[in-house]
Amino acid sequence: MIAYSPYLILLLPLFAAVVIRLFLHPFPRFAISVSTLACLGSFIGSLLLLFSGGLGGTIAIPAIPWIEFAGLKADFGLLMDPLARLMATLVSGIALLVHIYSIGYLKEDPHRSRFFAELSLFVFSMMGIVLADNLVTMFLFWELVGLSSYLLIGFWFDRPAAGAAANKAFLVNRIGDFGFILGILGVWSLFGTISLVDLPSSLAASPGGWAVTAVGLGLFCGCLGKSAQFPLHVWLPDSMEGPTPVSSLLHAATMVVAGVYMLIRVLPILELSTVTMTTIAWVGGAMTLLPALIACQQNDIKRILAYSTLSEIAYMVMAVGLGVTGPAMYHLTMHAFFKCLLFLAAGSVIHGCHEVQDIWKMGGLGKRMPFTAIVTGIGTLALCGIPPLSGFWSKDEIFAATAHHPALALVSMVAGFFTSFFMLRLILVAFGGSPRSEAARHAHEGSASLIFPMLILAILSVAGGFLPVNSFLGASPEGTHASWTLWVSLVLALAGFVPAFFIYRAATRDPLSIPILQGKFYVDEFYNRVLVANQDGLGKLADAFEGWVVRGFLVRGSGVVARAAGQGLRLVQCGQVQVYATIFILGALSLLWWILKSGVR
Amino acid sequence: MEQIFFWVLAAGLLISAVTVVAVRNPVTNAVCLVSTLVFEAALFITLEATFLAAVQVIVYAGAVMVLFLFVIMLLDVRVELLGKISWPKIVGVGLVFVLALVALPKLFSAFPFAGEALHWGHAKVPGTAQDLGHLLFSAYGPLFLTTGVLLLVATVGVVVLCRRDTEA
Amino acid sequence: MGGEITLGHYLVLSGALFLIGLAGVLLRRSLLVVMMSLELLLNAANLALVAVGRFQGIPDPQVAVFFVITVAAAEAALGLAILVAIFRIKKTTAADQMASLRF
Repeated sequence: MIAYSPYLILLLPLFAAVVIRLFLHPFPRFAISVSTLACLGSFIGSLLLLFSGGLGGTIAIPAIPWIEFAGLKADFGLLMDPLARLMATLVSGIALLVHIYSIGYLKEDPHRSRFFAELSLFVFSMMGIVLADNLVTMFLFWELVGLSSYLLIGFWFDRPAAGAAANKAFLVNRIGDFGFILGILGVWSLFGTISLVDLPSSLAASPGGWAVTAVGLGLFCGCLGKSAQFPLHVWLPDSMEGPTPVSSLLHAATMVVAGVYMLIRVLPILELSTVTMTTIAWVGGAMTLLPALIACQQNDIKRILAYSTLSEIAYMVMAVGLGVTGPAMYHLTMHAFFKCLLFLAAGSVIHGCHEVQDIWKMGGLGKRMPFTAIVTGIGTLALCGIPPLSGFWSKDEIFAATAHHPALALVSMVAGFFTSFFMLRLILVAFGGSPRSEAARHAHEGSASLIFPMLILAILSVAGGFLPVNSFLGASPEGTHASWTLWVSLVLALAGFVPAFFIYRAATRDPLSIPILQGKFYVDEFYNRVLVANQDGLGKLADAFEGWVVRGFLVRGSGVVARAAGQGLRLVQCGQVQVYATIFILGALSLLWWILKSGVR
Repeated sequence: MEQIFFWVLAAGLLISAVTVVAVRNPVTNAVCLVSTLVFEAALFITLEATFLAAVQVIVYAGAVMVLFLFVIMLLDVRVELLGKISWPKIVGVGLVFVLALVALPKLFSAFPFAGEALHWGHAKVPGTAQDLGHLLFSAYGPLFLTTGVLLLVATVGVVVLCRRDTEA
Repeated sequence: MGGEITLGHYLVLSGALFLIGLAGVLLRRSLLVVMMSLELLLNAANLALVAVGRFQGIPDPQVAVFFVITVAAAEAALGLAILVAIFRIKKTTAADQMASLRF
C-alpha cells in the first residue's frame, strides 16, 4: 500500500474539492481550510518526492490497470521522472501561495467556498497532467484543466463579460484539444503505444514522412490552445475576467504552460519531423513579439500582464522548437515565480483600488502601496531579464539556443525590448505621478494573507536563478553563456526602459495612440467577421435544412405516410373474427411458402 | 391387411370430417365429430399408439364432445342460417386454399413417401400406457405438472366466465 | 392404390383433414361449428405427429400429442364458456354478428 502513497499528492486536492462541494458549501471557513490544507499536503508530498530517488532517477510507482483493449493499453499511473517531480512541486507550491493569497483576496465574497472547491479541482487536474504517464490520461486531465479554467474564469458568472470570456476560453480550447486528440490517435496508430515511458523506445519503428509531421502538428495544436499561442491565443486576454488569483495561478504560472510541458513530454515525436520543429520554433518566435507589441497599447493592468504571459510562453515554445527542453523548462519555472508575483501584485492593486483595473485611473500608488510597488518592480526586472534576477538566467539560456538562428534571435530580442517598454510604462503610469481617480487616492495595502505570498514569490524571483533547478533538467548548457546573444539581448532589454521612461514619466493620458495595437491586430475582429459570419451562414443553412427537409419532409412526411397507411389498414379491422383468421392463415402460409422456397432439402 | 385398414379408416375419417363442416344441424355436426375422433383413434391403433387411442376416445370423444353437446342443448341452437356472401372473404379463403394446395405437397415432398412401409408389430416405439407414463413422469415431468396448473386455471376461468352477475 | 402404406400416406391424410377443418373455421357462421372445426385442425396435427413418431422411431411425438389433447380439452372448455357468455348477451352464435371490436 505504501507504494501507492504518491497518489496522495494527486488525490488530496480532489478529495478537498469533493468534500467542499458536497458538505462544506455553507461553511466557507472550513472550506478554505480543507482546500488550503489539501494543497499544503500536496506540496509537502511533492517536495518529499522531489528530493527522494536521486536527482536524475525516475521513481517507480505501481500503475493501476485502467483501459486495455484492441492493443490500446492505458494504465492509470504516475510518471515520476525529475521533470514531473519538479513541475509537480512548482504547481503545488504556486497553488499553495495562491490559496493563501485568495483567502485575503476573496474575504468578502459570499461564494468563496465554491471558489476554493474549483481551485482544488484545478490543482488536482493540473497535477494529473504533470504526473500522467500516458497520453490518454494526460488528455483526460487536460480536459479537466479546461473545465476548471472555464469554471474559474466564469466564477463571477453574473457578470456578462466573465461568462462570455469563460465560454470563449472553453470553445477556443476545444479547437486545440481536437488537434491534440487527433495527434494522440496518430501516435497510437503510428507507434502502437501511448505510454510516455515506452514512446522513446518505440520511435525506432517510425515510418517518417508526412504522417509523423501531421502527428507532431496535431500535438502542437493542443499546445496552441492550452498555452494560448497564435492563432488560438485570443482567449487568454479575455480570461482576465476571472478573479486575479485565478489569472495568476492558471493563466500565468501553471495551466497555460501545460502546453509547453506537454511539448517537452512528446519532444521525441516532434523531433522526428523538421517541419514540425521549424513550425513550432517560428510560431513561438513570432508570438514573442506580437503580444509584446499589443501590450504596449493596453490600459487594463491585467491584460498587459496577460499579453506579457503570451510573449513569455512563446519563448518557451520557441525553445522547444529549437530542441532545447532544459531552457524551456527552466524559463517555465522562473516565469511561474515572477509572473505569478506580478499578477498577485496586480491583484493587490486592484484590491486596493476597489476593482479599478485601468492603469490611467491609478497613479501615485507607489506612495500608498509601497510594498506592492517594490514587488512589482522586482517582478518587472525579473521579467525583463535583468541580472541577477531569475528571469535573466532562463532567458539567457533561451537566447543562447537561438545563437545559430539569427532571425529568431532578432525577433525574440526585439520582443524583449518591447517587454521592457510596456512594463516600465505600467509601473510609471500606475505607481508614479499623482492619483488620477478617487479610488487611487484611497488605495491601501492588503492584509497579511495578500502580502505573504507576494513576499515569498519576490524572494524566489530575485534568487530563483540560484536554485538548483537545472540539476533536475539534465546537463546545464553552461558553456554557451559567453555567446553574443547575452550582450545583445541585455542591451535591448535595457534599451526598452529608455523610451518608456521619457514618454510616460509624467503622462496623465497615453501620448501614443497606435490603433492597430489597441485593436490587438484585429484578430478577434477577423474571427468575428470571417469565422463567426461563416458559422452564422452555416447555421442558417442548417436551420433551413432542418425546417424544410427534416421537419417538413421527413417528420411531417412520415407522419402523412403513417396516417395514410393507417387509414388504409383500418379497412382490414372489420371486427370479423373469421377475416382475421383468414389473414392470419395467409400469413402463416406465406411464411411456410417462404421457408420451403429457401430450401428444405 | 394394413392397406385395407388404412384406406377404410381414412375414408371414414374424411367423410365424417366433411360432414362436420358441411352440415347445418349442430347436433349432426357434433355426432359426426365424435365419429371423426373415433376414426382417428383407430388410426392411432394402426400406428401402434394404443394408449393415445384410448385417451383420444375417453377424453376427446367422451369428455369434450359431451361438453359440446351439453352447450348445444343449453343454448338451444337451431339450424344455422346462411349469412350474406361476403366477396372479400370468399377471395381470401380461396387464396388460402390455393396457397395451401401449393404449399402442402411441397412440404410433404420433404418426407419419404416411399420410405419404410407400415407393418404391424414392427414399431420401434411401443405406445403403451407404461412407456408413455415413463416419459411423462421422467423427462416431461415438469411439463406434465404445468399441464395440471393449466387445467386448474381453465376450470377457474370457466367458472368465472359462466357465473351470472346476480350471484356475485 | 395398392402398394405399401408409408409415412406419406398418413401425412397426406393429415393434410386433407387440416384443410377440411380450415374450411370450417373460415367459412361457417356458427361459432359452435367453428370450434368443432378447430378440434379437427388439432386432430390433423395429432395424426401427423403420431405418424412421424411411429416411422421415425421416436416416442416424444406421442407425449406431445398427449399434451395437445390436454390443452384441447382446456381450450374447448374455455371456448365454450366464452360462447355461453356471449350467447347470453347477443342471443346468437353467429360469428359475423360479433363485430363490436370494429374501428
